[in-house]
Amino acid sequence: MTKVQRRVQAVLAVGALGAAGMFLGGEGLAGIDFGPIGAALLYAALWVFVVHLAKHAGEIFPEEWSPAERQGWVALVFVALICVQVIIMLSALPGLGIDADRMSNSATRGLWIRIAMPMFGWIVISSMLTRQDSGTVRLDERDLRIAHSGSRFADGAMTLLIISLVVTLVALPEYSRTWLRPLIAANVLIALLITRALLENIYTVLRYRRERG
Amino acid sequence: MSGFAVRNRIREFRQQRAEMTQADLARACDVTRQTIIALEAEKYSPSLELAFRLARALGRNLEEVFRFEEKK
Repeated sequence: MTKVQRRVQAVLAVGALGAAGMFLGGEGLAGIDFGPIGAALLYAALWVFVVHLAKHAGEIFPEEWSPAERQGWVALVFVALICVQVIIMLSALPGLGIDADRMSNSATRGLWIRIAMPMFGWIVISSMLTRQDSGTVRLDERDLRIAHSGSRFADGAMTLLIISLVVTLVALPEYSRTWLRPLIAANVLIALLITRALLENIYTVLRYRRERG
Repeated sequence: MSGFAVRNRIREFRQQRAEMTQADLARACDVTRQTIIALEAEKYSPSLELAFRLARALGRNLEEVFRFEEKK
């Protein structure tokens, strides 16, 4: 592992710590709200990562990773971030009571910005990688085969998730379904789609790893 | 079917062509260098089209480069 790669690993660890802080959210520990601190840490780490990517093109990722695998890892990190945001929002909705029926409430307010920021970061990093790999083969039949298997795995997992959700909802007694409001159900469906994307990316990077042996 | 595997001699034939690196072979076959690594390690079985391209780039027949063998 090179010096740059070790530095990037440390930056990513700080980013993961920030994401964990965001997940702890408003309640936090010992009365400290870790939400904003976590977000600041995470976005600072992402910024440092982008700077490193611009300065040390080709040194950040291990050489044995193909361009598609690099993009797969980047996608995994950002989809996981978006997933965390949606889970934070979903976990807050049932406690809002009738307010959960409003499009704009304390849980959903600012959500689009919190999702747009990782999306923007994803686009920036992904386009930087694409530019670095220009002139070389970016996607070949092995990448397409892995992508296809990833998609099939995610479809299967999504089917299982939907069936489990339906069974859970049917099995729940009437009185414990009061939290299930239309907008919560809509958000759960969106969360399922994001989970599908997350599972697809996890499968893809693990498959690349396995093929390297 | 599961008792058989596609074996290849890509690395051997590539090394016989002293100047040919994995990157050169990848460029000649329009794949990534990482795919050549996976092929040489026999972690990936190529499509028929890629197999023909590899054989052509190595200046060999398909049967020389690839063989279908029972797993040990």
